[in-house]
Amino acid sequence: MNQKYKGRVIFHVDMNSFYASVEAAYDPSLLGKPVVIAGNAEARRGIIVTASYEARAKGIKAPMPLWEALRKCPELIVREPNFDRYRAASKSMFQLLYSITPLVEPVSIDEGYMDVTDNDVNIPPIQLAKHIQERLKLELNLPCSIGIAPNKFLAKMASDMKKPMGITVLRKREVKEKLWPLPSIEMHGVGKKTADKLSKFGIFTIGEIALSDPVFLHKRLGIGGLRIHERANGIDERPVDPSAVEEFKSIGNSTTLSKDVTDVAELRKVIMNLSDSVGRRLRNKGYYAGNIQLTIRYHDFHTITRSSKLSNPIHSHGDIFDAAWRLWSKYWSGEAVRLLGVTAMDLIEKGHAHKQLDLFSYEKDEKEDKLNHVVDELKNKFGENVLLKGTQLRKSNDRSDQLRDRKRRGTSLEKDFLRDGLFKDDEDK
Amino acid sequence: MKFTIHRDQFVQSVQHVSKAISSRTTIPVLTGIKLVANEYGVTLTGSDSDISIESFIPKEDGDLQLVEVEDKGSIVLQARFFSEIVKKLPEDTIDIHVTDQLVTTIKSGSSVFNLNGLDPEEYPRLPEIEEENVFKLRTDLLKNIIRQTVFAVSTIETRPILTGVNWTIEDGLLTCTATDSHRLAMRKAKVDTTNELSFTNVVIPGKSLNELSKILDENEEWVDIIVTDNQILFKGKNLLFFSRLLDGNYPATKNMIPTQSKTGVTLTTKLFMQAIERALLLSRDGKNNVVNLKTLGNGNIEITSVTPEVGKVTEDITTNSFNGEELRISFNGKNIIDALKVIESTEIMIDFTGAMSPFVIKPIENDNMLHLFSPVRTY
Repeated sequence: MNQKYKGRVIFHVDMNSFYASVEAAYDPSLLGKPVVIAGNAEARRGIIVTASYEARAKGIKAPMPLWEALRKCPELIVREPNFDRYRAASKSMFQLLYSITPLVEPVSIDEGYMDVTDNDVNIPPIQLAKHIQERLKLELNLPCSIGIAPNKFLAKMASDMKKPMGITVLRKREVKEKLWPLPSIEMHGVGKKTADKLSKFGIFTIGEIALSDPVFLHKRLGIGGLRIHERANGIDERPVDPSAVEEFKSIGNSTTLSKDVTDVAELRKVIMNLSDSVGRRLRNKGYYAGNIQLTIRYHDFHTITRSSKLSNPIHSHGDIFDAAWRLWSKYWSGEAVRLLGVTAMDLIEKGHAHKQLDLFSYEKDEKEDKLNHVVDELKNKFGENVLLKGTQLRKSNDRSDQLRDRKRRGTSLEKDFLRDGLFKDDEDK
Repeated sequence: MKFTIHRDQFVQSVQHVSKAISSRTTIPVLTGIKLVANEYGVTLTGSDSDISIESFIPKEDGDLQLVEVEDKGSIVLQARFFSEIVKKLPEDTIDIHVTDQLVTTIKSGSSVFNLNGLDPEEYPRLPEIEEENVFKLRTDLLKNIIRQTVFAVSTIETRPILTGVNWTIEDGLLTCTATDSHRLAMRKAKVDTTNELSFTNVVIPGKSLNELSKILDENEEWVDIIVTDNQILFKGKNLLFFSRLLDGNYPATKNMIPTQSKTGVTLTTKLFMQAIERALLLSRDGKNNVVNLKTLGNGNIEITSVTPEVGKVTEDITTNSFNGEELRISFNGKNIIDALKVIESTEIMIDFTGAMSPFVIKPIENDNMLHLFSPVRTY
């Protein structure tokens, strides 16, 4: 235990173009060909979520519109996303990692950290990484890159260095040589906004971050400034925390519409679908939400998020929809919408949630609770479409029915499914 | 228009009518106060189209000359500036004189303001109300009724009708009900009506009642109350207060009030209130406010409250009487305190009907009010 922060060996396992790889594993005829996953493939209006390395070689990358990709590469193979398939593959992948060590921290559907400082198999890290990589390829037919380093940050940076099927060791003493010349945006934890700010201070590379005055960074960027200063110097003491995946603070779904939409009825249907899915996930996890947030991205990519605190914690799709719809009615500017998202926040565990009963409807309360459970069981068993409200039947070409959630990869939005039964076989297959 | 007016009276009237004025109105002229001077005195009007207030300053009050009108006329002046100006004027009297082009001179001692006025012709007319459905309340009673009900209205707009107080009159009995759907306050009072007046679906915005209560002085004068389909008018001495009524049907509340009791306790109001106030000390930022109540089997009750990361508080309370079943129930302590504050009785009676159904708190000394609460469910 005293070795916790000294001489650790951390892996970052990053699946290579995960969705495309899963499709290729499923249909081997796709292997070695340019493949993209994109919504609304037939209409050619979709946006690319993932591109295989063969496609990337032709200059195709997410989030490019499909028509543009097809122009660059007419022989491109397009697949629509199949999230059940990806979830199943992800589950298998993490199960494999867990068989090496229980110290696995899933970060998203296709990446995770492992602490292999004390591994049972007792083989050198590089060989262990090779072993993992080969097993993933052999057993699941999925390629990955693995970064090996003394901490999570460096491991993450390392896994990015060689793709696909790379294994990269990044030692702390190599930080200066390997990371410092990179532009600051390449650094994990520095997004576009932070990079813009940094460039205003005359800081353009990771090295310049490392050599900046931490007090200055703290003052200008808050606590995040200190963090990136540490990281740039190769310091990251975060442990690999297998339970981190359980500490999600929100559950959300968003969907990119296949075209800009102004039709309120259609948008309403999308919000209803999103609310349905968020509600079901909340209930599956045994959580209640104290706050509902609505995300609206307009045609010009102007994005707003608005939330409202609720007087009682909720988890039924009806309540979630009501809250989301109130926000919508209040804040929608009337302009065409590109993306919608519904997120449940301020999550409260079952048993700790209080609800002040309604004087008008307190008798309905328990009935409704029971009904929600039945609906969920049906949907889990027979699929999303077994029970729908009238509006949800409306024919349209948006894909919120499938709840694509690609925009938020790597956030808690997608990883909650990892919590359930990683060690269980799928009963519902 | 030209008149000289007593400053204190004028300031008070300006403040009263300002209560109705909102800076966020969509009708520009409503950002102003309308002044009308005629042979009887000066009338001031403020409105945000939901509430309209008219205050009249007569020429004389007893021996005291309040206004001297030289030229009749009218003007609308920006409330934001005008009310600040009159408050700060140096002398006891103010001269107001509208010259050409709506420019108004306000003079007091050696201080002179020239304000650009708005056209009084553009000012909307106040609703004309036929005095058919009239009843009377004494000012102090009216203020009490408002205080004892309006705190329970809903402050969120999910059910707009619940942001108002429902007034009904049947057989000379006025019943005022407010609920945010978690608690309900009901106050009854006998009223004098002109004829066999009765109405049921009159819902007065809580905000209007709050403003009205602020304007009314605590006294024993009578207020005439006139109800129409969409307006209510409170008519006091030299004061007209119009409020729009809320659209929609107020939910039926009569059958919500339990008629039986499974567990009945009587308690000393002050003891109970203080115990709940203590129990709430641990609730953070006014969140949840959940208080648990448990009967102890010996006729006494125990109050507890737990805030997970903070701690727990327990307190036993001696009841004055106890009958019925043992019980455990949780409720919103803040709502109970709100009600206990307006109950004018040293002792109260609580009737529970089970852990998952509403309970009633009533004063012992009179039966003119009742408070209903929903319990809190932990899940």
